[in-house]
Amino acid sequence: MQRRYLAQALAAFVFAGATGHAVAHHSAAMFDQTKTVELTGTVRLFQWSNPHCYIQLMVKNEQGREEEWSLEMGAPMYLYNRGWRPSTVKPGDQLKVKLNPLRKGGRGGLLVEAKSLDGKPLGKPVSGAP
Amino acid sequence: MSRKLWWPPTLACALVLVLAACADKSTPATQTAAARTQLPDWTGVWVAADTEIDISGYPTLDSPAGMALDLLNLKSAPWTEAQQKWIETEVPKLMAADAVRRAQGWGFPLMMEGVAPMQFLVTPTETVILNFYRDIRHVYTDGRALPPEEDRWPTPWGDSVGHWEGDTLVFETVSVRNGSVLPLPMPPLSPEARFSERLRRTAPDRMELAMRIEDPAVLTGPWDLKFEYRRAEGIDRLIHDIMENDRSAVEGNSLTIAPPPR
Repeated sequence: MQRRYLAQALAAFVFAGATGHAVAHHSAAMFDQTKTVELTGTVRLFQWSNPHCYIQLMVKNEQGREEEWSLEMGAPMYLYNRGWRPSTVKPGDQLKVKLNPLRKGGRGGLLVEAKSLDGKPLGKPVSGAP
Repeated sequence: MSRKLWWPPTLACALVLVLAACADKSTPATQTAAARTQLPDWTGVWVAADTEIDISGYPTLDSPAGMALDLLNLKSAPWTEAQQKWIETEVPKLMAADAVRRAQGWGFPLMMEGVAPMQFLVTPTETVILNFYRDIRHVYTDGRALPPEEDRWPTPWGDSVGHWEGDTLVFETVSVRNGSVLPLPMPPLSPEARFSERLRRTAPDRMELAMRIEDPAVLTGPWDLKFEYRRAEGIDRLIHDIMENDRSAVEGNSLTIAPPPR
């Protein structure tokens, strides 16, 4: 999914060197929004929680060993508006996801897209502003 | 005046007096209910008309204008020369420090951008404006004045009073603390800033806010802004934010995601 960031607006309008900013409660500078990582894995845990929701995804690495990824999302209010509910994701669900990875490295990032294995987006389709 | 012409007007006057007396006996609750029917219907949840936030908490390309926050477009404000210099030297430092800061809420005036879904609760005596980050503004319309200057203290939302001009809420706000509640560079206004706003519904699914900011301490003239909101069709309730599961952990000079519970 193509996305547009406040950082671009700030860079254009405010000051050079501005970093990304979250709608939520912290800066997005911790995520590298120029990179997208695609993963397929099994949900261990879905946290429908404030100030962020999280999916803990178990992903097999190249050696076939399972590794756990921490995927941060927006607040429940934003997910709710996209048709997500606390029951949308359950432990054991298999997902294909896209994320912006942590700048510091490690198995984590900002979840920007989540689909079932047959390619269906979770929650209601993105309709955009009318 | 003949006797025949004299008694009908007298009877009519008596009838009017009796009806007036009956009206005076209505209860305050009845009067409140009657007044409420005169107020506009702003029910529902509202968001910025040109912004659509996806599951990451960021706007999508579906958003016609992305998330260009007008209040963060500091170059559009008529800053004094001294304030412009302060902005150029200090705001980059504030933004760098914000890399590890965590906060809740937008504060005023930034909350009025409408990126965080909000509601307008209209009552006969006040209109409450709130969003899901629990930013709350009380706009009193019961005829009271702003607090006297010696009794004011700046808060992130200020003090507001207003009145109705037809279906438009016209209100003034003072005593706004210029503190960035979010890790965002709030417009660096002074505590003497005065905000004049006009809020109205322009269509069944559209609302409009016109805002004028006057702040002689840092602005050379008025700063006029306009915001448009649309009904958030996907939201039938507000789910308020709380730090119940803050997994953002400071690591060096930035944040990372703390491990999950086992």
